[in-house]
Amino acid sequence: MTKKKSEAANEDQTRDTKKKSVSAVKSSQKEKPVLAKQVKSSKEEEDLLLDSATDSDYDGDSLSGSLNSDDFDSDVFDSEDDASQKETEGGDKDSSEDELELHGNEDSDDDDEGEQVDSENDEEDGSDEEREVAEESDSSEDEVAPRNTVGDVPLEWYKDEKHIGYDITGKKITKKEKQDKLDSFLANMDDSKNWRKIYDEYNDEEVELTKEESKLIRRMLKGEAPHADFDPYAPYVDWFKWDDAIHPLSSAPEPKRRFIPSKWEAKKVVKYVRAIRKGLIKFDKPEEEPNVYLLWGDDSASDQKSKHLTYIPPPKLKLPGHEESYNPSLEYIPTEEEKAAYELMYEEDRPKFIPKRFTSLRSIPAYENALKESFDRCLDLYLCPRVRKKRVGAHSIINIDPESLKPKLPSRKDLRPYPNSCYLEYKGHTGAVTSVSPDCSGQWIASGSADGSVRIWEVETGRCLKVWQFKEAVKCVAWNPLPDFPILAVAIGQDLVILNTELGTDEEQQKIEELLRLGTLPEQDEAVAAIVSWLPDETYGGIKIKHFKNISYVDWHPRGDYLSAVMSAGETRGVVIHQLSMHKTQRLPIKMRGLPVCTLFHPTHRGMFIIATKKNVRVFNLQKRELAIKKLETGLREISSMAIHPGGDNLIVGSKEGKMCWFDMDLSSKPYKTLKNHPKDITNVAFHRSYPLFASCSEDSTAYVFHGKVYSDLNENPLIVPLEILRGHSTSSNRGVLDCKFHPRQPWLFTAGADSVIKLYCH
Amino acid sequence: MNGEGEDASKVIHVKFLTKLDYPFKVPVTSVVIPSSVTRLGLSSIVNSLLTLEKPEPFDFLIDGELIRMSLEQFLNAKGISAERTLEIEYIRAVAPRKEEKPSLHDDWVSAVDGSSPRFVLTGCYDGLGRIWSSPGSCTHILEGHTGAISSIAFANSEGAEGVTVATASKDRTLRLFKVDPAESGDSTTRVGAYKILCGHKASVASVAAQKYGSKVCSGSWDCTINVWDTNESTSELSVPGKKRKGNNQAEEPQLEGEAETTLVGHTQCVSSVVWPEHDVIYSCSWDHSVRRWDVETGKDSLNLYSGKALNTVDVGGEGSALVAAGGSDPILRVWDPRKPGTSAPVFQFASHSSWISACKWHTSSWFHLLSASYDGKIMLWDLRTAWPLSIIETHKDKVLCADWWKGDSVVSGGADSNLRISSGISIS
Repeated sequence: MTKKKSEAANEDQTRDTKKKSVSAVKSSQKEKPVLAKQVKSSKEEEDLLLDSATDSDYDGDSLSGSLNSDDFDSDVFDSEDDASQKETEGGDKDSSEDELELHGNEDSDDDDEGEQVDSENDEEDGSDEEREVAEESDSSEDEVAPRNTVGDVPLEWYKDEKHIGYDITGKKITKKEKQDKLDSFLANMDDSKNWRKIYDEYNDEEVELTKEESKLIRRMLKGEAPHADFDPYAPYVDWFKWDDAIHPLSSAPEPKRRFIPSKWEAKKVVKYVRAIRKGLIKFDKPEEEPNVYLLWGDDSASDQKSKHLTYIPPPKLKLPGHEESYNPSLEYIPTEEEKAAYELMYEEDRPKFIPKRFTSLRSIPAYENALKESFDRCLDLYLCPRVRKKRVGAHSIINIDPESLKPKLPSRKDLRPYPNSCYLEYKGHTGAVTSVSPDCSGQWIASGSADGSVRIWEVETGRCLKVWQFKEAVKCVAWNPLPDFPILAVAIGQDLVILNTELGTDEEQQKIEELLRLGTLPEQDEAVAAIVSWLPDETYGGIKIKHFKNISYVDWHPRGDYLSAVMSAGETRGVVIHQLSMHKTQRLPIKMRGLPVCTLFHPTHRGMFIIATKKNVRVFNLQKRELAIKKLETGLREISSMAIHPGGDNLIVGSKEGKMCWFDMDLSSKPYKTLKNHPKDITNVAFHRSYPLFASCSEDSTAYVFHGKVYSDLNENPLIVPLEILRGHSTSSNRGVLDCKFHPRQPWLFTAGADSVIKLYCH
Repeated sequence: MNGEGEDASKVIHVKFLTKLDYPFKVPVTSVVIPSSVTRLGLSSIVNSLLTLEKPEPFDFLIDGELIRMSLEQFLNAKGISAERTLEIEYIRAVAPRKEEKPSLHDDWVSAVDGSSPRFVLTGCYDGLGRIWSSPGSCTHILEGHTGAISSIAFANSEGAEGVTVATASKDRTLRLFKVDPAESGDSTTRVGAYKILCGHKASVASVAAQKYGSKVCSGSWDCTINVWDTNESTSELSVPGKKRKGNNQAEEPQLEGEAETTLVGHTQCVSSVVWPEHDVIYSCSWDHSVRRWDVETGKDSLNLYSGKALNTVDVGGEGSALVAAGGSDPILRVWDPRKPGTSAPVFQFASHSSWISACKWHTSSWFHLLSASYDGKIMLWDLRTAWPLSIIETHKDKVLCADWWKGDSVVSGGADSNLRISSGISIS
C-alpha cells in the first residue's frame, strides 16, 4: 500500500468537499464514475477526475472499520439532512489524519494491512472491483493477492502451529523451517541485496524491496512526499469554469430534503426555544462599567468611594489619676454633704466618678455600670460614628475663601489722624531741598538746600524767617532736640556748622552764645586731631568743625550735647561724635566694618548707638566699648536711611531698592516686615514722636504714610497698615522727595522735594 | 424772564415782603412768576418792580432760608406747597460793592483790627503796628517790637485821653501803646510803647482786650494764656531799657508789666484768644480744642474738641454764644455750646481750599460771619445757607487776617503786604 496514494487521496478529498460545497452537488460514491465519464472530453479534467475517483477508493481502503464507510454511509444518510453530512465529512478528515499516523508509525505492516483492507473493499463493493483493477494497473504489486487469508489476527495464535494460516484455497500455509542463525547470517552477508530483504511475518516469506520502494521509504523517512514526482507546492489551478456554468454540475433531480422543512433544524429550534424559556441562554451581555474616572475630581470624596473601612483612631482618654485609685488619699473622698449635694444635682452636672475607698483589692466589687456603659457605648457608636476630620491642607485650599486669608487690617478711617492733604508750601529755595528738620516745639522748621542756603520757616504761615547762605550745598540740617537750645547743626561739604538761630529767650541766647564761643580748645587725641578740627565760624558766629571727608549725615543725641557726624568716604574713621559743651571730638571706640550710611542715638537708652552701614545695622553700647550688641540683617542691597521708634525697640530701615524693613529689635535680628512700596530709591524714613505713624519718601516723588502701632504688650506684634500715598512733588533732575520729617506734635508730615519746595501734609 | 403762560403748573403766586425802607419797598401785591427762576431772576423781578435807577442785587428768604437754587427745587427740597401764595422776604445782597485803594505795607500784614469805626489797626511782619484812619492814610506807627507782630487789638478805643493799643509779637512780648487820635496830622507819628508785657517764654500768637475794662489777655506758643493789666498807674517799677539795648532810643520811660493771671491747660500753642464778656475768655489751640476760661477762677469751663489744629476763634452770632473756629483744614466750624450733651459743630462751611487763618462774626448781625484763608479768599457766610454769600478775591497771596470794619466793610491783610478794604456790604 503506497502512502503516496493515500496522501493524494487526502488532498483530493479536501478538494472534493470544496467542490461539493461550492456547486452544492452532493458527491456520492455512485455518482463519481458517471461524472468521470461525462467530463472525459477535457484531458485535464479527466486526470483530475481520475484522481478523485481513485482517491475515493483509497480513501476507503486506507480507512478501517466504520470510519472508512464514509461514502457508503453517506448514502444511508442521504435521506437525512445536510448537517449530518457535514459531520461525517468532518469525521472523514479526522480519519485521514489517523491514517497518516498509521503510515508514519509502522512501515513493515503497511503492505499487509493495505492488502488486507483491499480485499475487504473488494468484498464490499464488488461492482467497483473491475473498474478499479483496470484503472490501477500501473501498480504491479497490488495485483498480487496476499497468500495468507487468516485476517488481521495476532500471529501469536499460530506461534505453536506448524502453519501460519490458510491460503485462498483453504490449504494450510506451512511455516518455513527456521534457518540456523549462523547460516542465515552468512547467507545475508553473502547476498549483496540482503539489506533490501524484509521478512514478512504474516506470509512467512522474505520480500525484496525494489529500488523504487526503497527510495520511497527513504523519502518518507525524510518526511517528504512518497512520490518523487509529487510537488506539494504546485500552484493551484482552478480547473472548473465557473462562468458559463448555468446548469448545475449534476443533472440529478433535486432531493426531496431541499423542499421540506428540516426536521433536524426544527428539533434544534425547539431545543433552543426551550433553553431560552428556561433562561439558560441569555442574549444581552451585562453592560460593563466604564473603566474611566475623573482624574481631577475632588479627592475629598475619595473616602466614601473606598470600599474598605479606614481605621479612625479613638479619641485618647485621660489617664486615671489618684482619685481613681481603689484606695485614694482621704482628701479625694467626698464628704457626706458633698455626696448629698451630688444627689441633688442634675445627672449631667453630677461628677462621673465619685472616689471610694476600699481596704484591699480583694474587697472591690464588680463595676455595677459595666453593662450599661457598654450598651451606651454601642449606642454612641451607632448614633455618632467616628468621623475623620478633614484637614485644611494644600489640596483643599480651593475650598477656602480667599478673603479669609487676608490679614484683618483696621480701616483707614479708624486710624485717623494721619497726613493726607497738602495745604501749605514753603517756597524760597532755588535748589533741591536736601534736608528738613522741625524744631521741637513745632513752630519752626529748618531746611537745607543744594543751593547752599539754610532757611528757617514759620510752620504756621510758610514765611521764611532766616536765611544763611553758604558756599557749598547743604547736605543735612538737624535741630537740637532741646527746646531751650535752639541751635542748628548743618553739614556743608567737609564742615559741620553749628548755627545760632537766635530764637530763644534772652537767657537762652546768653547760654548759647557762651557755648558757641570757642575759648581754649581742649587737647584732642592725635588720631582725632588728624581728622577733625574745631574752628570759629566767622560769617555767622557759630562753630565750624572741619572734617577730613564730606559729611553726609548728622544726628543729635536726645540730650542735645552730643552729635554724631557720618562721613561715608571715611570708612573705618567714618563716624565721629562731637561733644558740644566740651568742644571735643571722639572717635568711635569700636572698630567698624563697611561704609557708614547713617547713625542714630537710641532715644531712651543713653549709651546705645546705632550705625547703619550699606548692608547691615549694628547696635553698640558706647559706654561698654564692646563689639556690637546686636547685628540686624537687613538683606537689603544698600541702606539709605533709618529711623527709630520713640519707644526704642523698633527700627525702620529704608533702602535704595525701594524696600523698607521694620525691625522689632527684641524679636529678631531679621526684619519683622519688609514693605516694598516705592519703585525707586527710598531717600528717608521717619517716625512720629507721639502718633503711631511712620513715613517713607522716595525718588519717585511720593511719600508713603503708614500706621505703625507698637503695643506695650510684648506678646503683640506691631501693627503696620499702609495709609496714604502723598503725591504732589514734581521730579526734578531725576530726583523726587529727598527728605521727610513729621511735625513733632501734629500728625503732619514735611516733605522736602528736589523741586525746591517743602510741603506740609496735614490731616 | 420766561413767558408766563407756557405752563400753568409751573407758575407760583408770590408776595414780596421786606424790612427795607422807602426806595427798596415794593407794593404788597401778589405776583405770578414761573417756578424755574433763581435768585438772579427774583432779583431782576424786584428790580423791575422798584424801577430803580441803578440795579440793586437782592437776596431772598423763604421761611428764614436763603434761596440758592431755582425756586422749584427749593420748594421741593423744603416740602413747601406751591399752591398757596408764597411770601418771599428780600434783603439787599451781602456783597462788597466797592473796593478801596490798597494800603501797602513793608512786609506781610499779619494782624488787623477793625473794632473801632475810626481806625483800622494793622500789625506787620516788620515789627511795626500801624493805625489807619482811612484807606491809604497811615496816622501812627507803633514801634518797638523786635519781632513780627502777630496780633493787634484796641485795649481801650473809647479812652478820654486817647486810645490804647495792645500788640503781640513773636519776640515773646506784648506792648501797650497810647495813641491820641487828635494829634494826627498829615505826617505819620511814630509812637513807642508805654508798657512792655514780658512773661511769655515763646512767641505770642494772639492778644485780646477786655471790653470796657483795663485788661488784655494773650495766647502764646508756650501753651499759656496770660492776663495783663493795661493801667499805667501800677506800682510796678519803671525799668527803662534795662535789658533791651535796642529800645534805648525810646525817650519816655517804659514800664514792664507782669502777668496777673496765667491760664494753663492747653497742651500746645494757643493760637487765638477772644474776650467777649467781662470775665470770660475763649481760646483755641493747636491741641485741637476750643476752651472757655473763667478769668476769676482761672479754670476752663468748656472744652470743645475739633480734631484739627485751630488757628482762629471768634464768638458771636445768636446771643453772642456761638463759637466759630477754623484751623488747619479748609472747614469753618460753628459750635453752639448752649446745646447740651454734644460737642459736634452745628454748622460747617467748607468752601475754602486751604487753612483758615481768620474768622470773625459780624458785630451786629446774628447770621453773618467772615472767614479768611490761605487760599487768598475771604468768604462771607450766612448761617442760613451753606453757600458763601460772596467771595472776596482781592488778595494775591495768603490772607493772614481779616475783620469787619464799621459794620459794612471788610478789612484784611495778607502775604501780599497789603491792607485791603472792601466796603459797601449792606447787612441789615
